[in-house]
Amino acid sequence: MATVVTLPRLSDTMEEGVIAKWRIKVGDKVKRGQVIADIETDKATMEFESFDAGTVLKLVAPEGEALPVGATIAVFGQPGENPDAVDGGAKPKPADKPATDKPATDKPATDKPADEASESDADEEADEKPAKASAKPVAPKPQPESVAEVKHAEAVNEASAAGGDSPAPKATSQGTGPEGQADRGRIPASPLARRLAREHDLELGQIQGSGPHGRIVKADVEQAIAKGPTRAAAATGTSAHVPSASQPAGSPAADVDEHGRPYISRPDRSVKLSQMRKAIAKRMGQAKREIPHIYLTMPIVMDRAVALRAEFNLSVDGTKASLNDLVILAAARALRKHPRVNAHFTDNGIVERGDVHVGVAVALDDGLIVPPVRFADQKTLKQVSIDVRDLGTRAKEKTLKPEEMTGSTFTVSNLGMFGIEEFCAIVNPGEAAILAVGAVQDEAVVEDGKIVARKRMRVTLCSDHRVFDGAESAKYLQTLRKLLESPLSLLT
Amino acid sequence: MPILQIRQAIRDAMKEEMERDERVFLMGEEVGYYNGAYKCSEGLLDQFGAKRVIDTPITETGFAGIGIGAAMCGLRPIIEFMTFNFSAVAFDQILNNAAKLRHMTHGQFGVPMVFRGPNGAAHMLGSTHSQAFEHFYAHIPGLKVVAVATPYDAKGLLKTAIRDENPVLFLESELMYSVKGEVPEEEYLIPFGQADIKRPGDAVTVITWGQGVPVALKAADLAAAEDISCEVIDLRSLRPMDEAAIIKSVKKTNRAVIVYHGWPNGGVGGDIIARIQELAFDDLDAPVLRVCYEDLPMPYAENLENLILPSPERALEAVRRVAYKR
Amino acid sequence: MNQSEAAPDPAPQGDTDNAVDAAYEAKLRADYDGQSRDDVLRDYREMLRIRRFEEAAARAYTRGKISGFLHLYIGQEAIAIATQQVMEPGDRVVSTYRTHGFAIALGSDPKACAAELFGKAAGLVGGVGGSMHFFDKARGLWGGYAIVGNHIPVAAGHAFASQYTGDGRVTLCFMGDGAVGIGPVHEGMTMAGIMKLPIVFVVENNQYSMGTPLKRTLPVEDITARAAGYGFASDRFHVTSVQETRRRLGEAVERARKDGKPTLVELITYRFRGHSMSDPAKYRQKEEVDRWRLNDPLERTLMALKLIHKVPEAELDADDETIVAEMDAAYEFADKAPVPQPAARFDNVMAEGPYYGDSATTRPAGVE
Repeated sequence: MATVVTLPRLSDTMEEGVIAKWRIKVGDKVKRGQVIADIETDKATMEFESFDAGTVLKLVAPEGEALPVGATIAVFGQPGENPDAVDGGAKPKPADKPATDKPATDKPATDKPADEASESDADEEADEKPAKASAKPVAPKPQPESVAEVKHAEAVNEASAAGGDSPAPKATSQGTGPEGQADRGRIPASPLARRLAREHDLELGQIQGSGPHGRIVKADVEQAIAKGPTRAAAATGTSAHVPSASQPAGSPAADVDEHGRPYISRPDRSVKLSQMRKAIAKRMGQAKREIPHIYLTMPIVMDRAVALRAEFNLSVDGTKASLNDLVILAAARALRKHPRVNAHFTDNGIVERGDVHVGVAVALDDGLIVPPVRFADQKTLKQVSIDVRDLGTRAKEKTLKPEEMTGSTFTVSNLGMFGIEEFCAIVNPGEAAILAVGAVQDEAVVEDGKIVARKRMRVTLCSDHRVFDGAESAKYLQTLRKLLESPLSLLT
Repeated sequence: MPILQIRQAIRDAMKEEMERDERVFLMGEEVGYYNGAYKCSEGLLDQFGAKRVIDTPITETGFAGIGIGAAMCGLRPIIEFMTFNFSAVAFDQILNNAAKLRHMTHGQFGVPMVFRGPNGAAHMLGSTHSQAFEHFYAHIPGLKVVAVATPYDAKGLLKTAIRDENPVLFLESELMYSVKGEVPEEEYLIPFGQADIKRPGDAVTVITWGQGVPVALKAADLAAAEDISCEVIDLRSLRPMDEAAIIKSVKKTNRAVIVYHGWPNGGVGGDIIARIQELAFDDLDAPVLRVCYEDLPMPYAENLENLILPSPERALEAVRRVAYKR
Repeated sequence: MNQSEAAPDPAPQGDTDNAVDAAYEAKLRADYDGQSRDDVLRDYREMLRIRRFEEAAARAYTRGKISGFLHLYIGQEAIAIATQQVMEPGDRVVSTYRTHGFAIALGSDPKACAAELFGKAAGLVGGVGGSMHFFDKARGLWGGYAIVGNHIPVAAGHAFASQYTGDGRVTLCFMGDGAVGIGPVHEGMTMAGIMKLPIVFVVENNQYSMGTPLKRTLPVEDITARAAGYGFASDRFHVTSVQETRRRLGEAVERARKDGKPTLVELITYRFRGHSMSDPAKYRQKEEVDRWRLNDPLERTLMALKLIHKVPEAELDADDETIVAEMDAAYEFADKAPVPQPAARFDNVMAEGPYYGDSATTRPAGVE
């Protein structure tokens, strides 16, 4: 009996993955637990250990191509077995559960759940964008703003515009879902709202619904129209020949230098989004759209912290701490005192997190990840230092395990090493605040009427205004300053 | 202009048509010497005699069939059911003979006649006497079905019904016979298939007929107090139905509530919704709701009956829901 | 269908004269005393036309040319012929789903009748009615009703109209013995009795309510016992000849016309075929059928022509051939006739003209 190997979901936000490299070839005998591929997820490149044993009959997924989670990537079986005998074995096939759960004869029915219907349709529609979008597995959490769903909404829109009999089987299959299942992918909207949105070239995904179950109704679309600018405006702009950036208005001569020689024009370069880039784009976009940010900056005198760190690094066991480690520890300890900052916003209320896991933003070549220092508030400076170093190293090697990359409750992002004095960061979805840490610099500071030289650092607490307000943010920063300006307590 | 009750308007319509056309006669239980169970035929026996105002035994099938047979011979019978609940006894006559004979005989015969009487629930009559029959009859091609809610409409539409060349089911209401209204002295006819906008508005279309009309108007009053403007459409005739009026209003308001007597399943209300979704789908901003009987047989007990009947409060609730004002 | 083949051949043998027993012949001579040769020959031909029409219908049915239900009148022809003979212009016959015999008797064109059976546009009612719904108003055939008993109040309504307008016409309302238990019969007769309508109710008691014999459907086998309850006159007799049926039906018609008094007539008769083409008639014995055949008015008339009037065999054969040819031509016409136009289905639903349905949502494609 041939076995279908599907693309595993290796992180809680992973929707797609790329086989970076196959470690097996057709004919190999594979044991359970054997690494069979390196899979690039939105976070890292992971070694994929096989859940199945058998002889490799077929490698379905090519290297380097993005596939949805659940897609068939390989077929194992007995030597000589026909790999195409299994359902959907010939092509990548999205599914959110193992294909073996289903009989091979499973046929799509119009009222089948989207995942099943799209599975059977995958062959004909593998190239069709909406089909792929809806092939997305059931999301772990409702994320109504997801790119996939917006695309899907368009598909639904087209379907209704075409009188409902257009070739958009996904739209039909998902469109039959009852109200209250909005999170399954279809955006609830009244027929009139759909028509108005269509006529004004608005995307339903961009409109907040005020009706029952979040249904978008006429009033919502009218509000969106009034708000503008819409996609329609942008489109009109282009067609009206608004001068592009390379052709400033009123100065066609700008294309030539003072000698009349044309500047050298180079073509745009398209860069394919890596899985990480996609995830960042999605999550940061989501955060900026949904979270009303508030930014408070606090200067902190770091002389004593610098001295403490120097002394600490002289310790006999060779552990080295960075100033950032101190900041992480201080930030974590401060969170204990201000639980509201260690929280996140949900539709049902605010959740103050019981544990403190401080995410450390680590810049990589093509993005960044934020592995958490777990239970950072309870750790010693030494342990924090060890954790941060280890996470950073392995993040750059892309060898962090999924569980090591997720779960932060608060984030510290430090750009001080680049000489950045202060900056504003974006709150990670699922958290209430991120601490943006600038450089420690020698500054002239007035103390007791005298100008003295001090090492100063600016930190900016960027927070979700829905969770707490400016005063709470300021209080947190005061605590943090106290901890860093009198840092001995951090050693206890 | 004279103020008449609906029962008087009905009597006047019959009287005038009987004066106008000798072929017209009235037949039914207690229509003659008793002057009508609800006094709709008061004085007609005296004026026209027993030849044209004919008391019958309790034989709904019998006198419905006699009416049909007479109509086939060119007479113009008005058959009164003491209540339309009893028309069930004559259902086969209406379904298989009145509605079909023109067709079945390839046009050799027509059946120009009126079946009329009170319809729907009255007050505490129990399940067998509290049923709305338009839902049965509007199903049948070959019939016309009319329901009236004002003296003006009752007279104008009944005169039209008596002159129509087809069998017409003319539905009245026991509880509304005393409803008063202006009725012109000069002759007028109201054509079938023309709805009447009983109250203009622009936020919610409330579609109704017959006994639903006062309920809908009251609900519209209540809604107005909440700043929801209802357009109340009295369909008046259900077959033919003024589809254009419904669609025009729904395209304006983008939402509709249907208020009527009768059960929800398989009735005229669902039929109207089917028309709306097909003809005005892209104009709908909310689901179309029905306010009608609960899907239950009617109990005698007053409190239970009141729960089942469509009320202004229930209609208001539906109006709020489709207007997204809750 | 095979059951039609299973039924015995109704045609008498040509040389049975000597086999006829004396009692039979004496009764025959008594019954046909005073009947002219021409009258008997006319009745014979008219009855034979119905029988040959019905036989051709049965054959067409077995060939798949006719669908639906097909109820044959074979054995009861004398009733239709006698009825036609007592009617005055404008009188009405209201009948049941077993109505071909009345159509042929009243003068409907066999071509139109056959075309109706074939569902053709040239049919009696344009092909929309079929076997069970024959109407030919111009010839006094007012249906054609296929819901058992529901035409009794309607027929009373026709009689009421005659009373109302004083047009002097009589309505003859026919029904089977199986109908008398159903409600509308009681209601219609009650009304007719109260209103004293010019109507004759005729029960054609052919012994079976579909497949159930009389004694299992009638509490009192004499159906005319009911007449008293309605205030009707009544009559009850075996139909063995056209002239006897004509005489006694005529009395009832006269009573209706002159006295405005309804009569309930029970005619005891027999259908030699099953209830419909799909009925194998296994509920009765061959001996029973043979016994009834002795009373078959058509056969008795033939015998009278041969025994009393000495009509030559060749003349009778020639008559038969002529009638068979007429009916064959009718069915050939029906077979070749065009089916109704698609738009024909919009006709005669409403008085105003073509009717396409009440809603734009249900209107057929291509209309408006």
